[in-house]
Amino acid sequence: MVFGNVHAVRAASFDLPRGRFLTILGPSGSGKTTLLRMIAGFDRPTGGEIFINGEPVNAVPPHRRAIGMVFQKLALFPHMTAAENVAFPLKMRRHDARLIPQKVERYLDLVRLGGYGGRRINELSGGQQQRVAIARALVFEPDLLLLDEPLAALDRKLREEMQLEFRRIQKELGVTTINVTHDQREALVVSDEIIVMDGGTIQQKARPVDAYRAPSNAFVANFIGVTNFIAGRVTEVAAPRVAFEANGVPLAGLSADAALVAGMPCAGALRAEQVRIAAGNGRLDGLETVVDGHVVDCIFEGERVVYEIRVPALADTLMRVFDHDPESHLQFGPGDAVRLGWNARDMHVFQK
Amino acid sequence: MTDSTSKTVVLWLFVAAALVTLSAPTIVVLGASFTAGNIITFPPDGLSLKWYGAIAQASDLRQAFLRSLIVAAICTAVAIPVGTLAGIALAKYRVRFARSIQIYLLLPFTIPLIGSGIGMMLVFGEMGVLGRLWPVGIACCVINLPFMIWAVTASASNLSPDLELAAANCGAPPLQRFLYITLPAVLPGVITGSLLMFILALNEFLVSLLLVDARSVTLPVQIYNSIRSIITPDLAAISVVFIACAGLAIALLDRLVGLDIFLKSK
Repeated sequence: MVFGNVHAVRAASFDLPRGRFLTILGPSGSGKTTLLRMIAGFDRPTGGEIFINGEPVNAVPPHRRAIGMVFQKLALFPHMTAAENVAFPLKMRRHDARLIPQKVERYLDLVRLGGYGGRRINELSGGQQQRVAIARALVFEPDLLLLDEPLAALDRKLREEMQLEFRRIQKELGVTTINVTHDQREALVVSDEIIVMDGGTIQQKARPVDAYRAPSNAFVANFIGVTNFIAGRVTEVAAPRVAFEANGVPLAGLSADAALVAGMPCAGALRAEQVRIAAGNGRLDGLETVVDGHVVDCIFEGERVVYEIRVPALADTLMRVFDHDPESHLQFGPGDAVRLGWNARDMHVFQK
Repeated sequence: MTDSTSKTVVLWLFVAAALVTLSAPTIVVLGASFTAGNIITFPPDGLSLKWYGAIAQASDLRQAFLRSLIVAAICTAVAIPVGTLAGIALAKYRVRFARSIQIYLLLPFTIPLIGSGIGMMLVFGEMGVLGRLWPVGIACCVINLPFMIWAVTASASNLSPDLELAAANCGAPPLQRFLYITLPAVLPGVITGSLLMFILALNEFLVSLLLVDARSVTLPVQIYNSIRSIITPDLAAISVVFIACAGLAIALLDRLVGLDIFLKSK
């Protein structure tokens, strides 16, 4: 898809089996919303073809596609009641008028809004409006449900509640769903499968747990989770194990990249929760790599403390480390000497 | 006196002054219309409804009023489709030269009414239609159209561009999207605009003066003509009827859509 001379979506081929919940995850400007709008039929791809149920749909206008969509700003019809909003797709798609009221009722019940049908849209809370939008998108039993970051504007508590709600409804109806978000947590929570996008290109397509545990490149490793990168040069490859040195320190990790050979510049990615922290003279048993550093900052986040540690031996790399232990919370302060340790199997090595 | 009470006093003085200035002409005319005497005075010389009786009998005033209503109706009938479509287009779609079009549509405000009035007199004169009512309606529509467009754009620009996409996603083809979604959503603006257009056309004096002849005088022109001969209290009475009509339209507006939408219009 090209706007002017900007390629919003370049290489984005994927297929989605019926009944699955797919999340397209990416930063703003990664092309995820454009992809969704093309699937909905609002924008026409400048190249390539979209198939739904095996049928090419590029030439099919949006109102002839059997796709339900929940918009980012919901786009509920303000001059209609909740029930009228939900009934609208049924009327437009010429469903049997006698069956419409009970269908509307059923879907309002499904989203737990039974009895709210007569309310005007502006009389409903943010969460209730979300539910109306979901009911409107699902009531005509679409082949495909599209979610365009509908939860982005909600406060955190409500957002997390609605994420589980989306999941429940999707499982209950078994409707094939494509969700778009920049919220990695949401992607991990709701999806059967994740596509990570950047620069209009698919970076990785995997189950949530695999995208998290085995990111396919540095972008994915950086985008999902809190990740430390250590720059170095490959010294030896014995797939899947890769040895590299960073500022003279020998390190090792895993890599699925067959193109990695000795002498190449590389980056080792290490999740903040995979790093153990101890006092400067403390012991870190059973860890393959141990380095010394000092605390630059410690951030209290409630269930965990995030330490920022400067490591002189690794060319002053700043590493972030989580401490989840309630006993030892805030045991270190800025300036304290600490020792960090990790295992090579937790380090993923990528080309740089 | 503390600071806050002196502030209150000054504020209330301003409010009182503004209220008096705004309502004085209406009160004077209203008072004068109930006079029992034969000349127009304020305070009235005794109270009676005889001048209201007089205007009910005066067929020239009645006919002029009827003509004004027809002019206002024509003006509104033209303004509704033109202003609604123009307003929606300007607010919602990326129209080429939108800026220039907006300025062009504001031109009627910047050109002195006497100037546009003479222009229209020449045009309609050339067409040989001077003295008929519909050119007056069209002229009122042209000079007041920005009000209509403002009212509609105020409603339309609050509309999320996603609404029509959502309607398409619900299975609505383009015409249905416009009829079921866009139009109802801008309806408050359309009602506001059309009532405004109706009042403005009903009251329009200067342009009417230039476009009417003896057979087609509208009410404001008729009143003006009468003032030039003898000023009798029936003019005050007809003015009150006039004001009542405008008041009725405002009340209707408030009832139908609420005045706040008009006050918010850009």
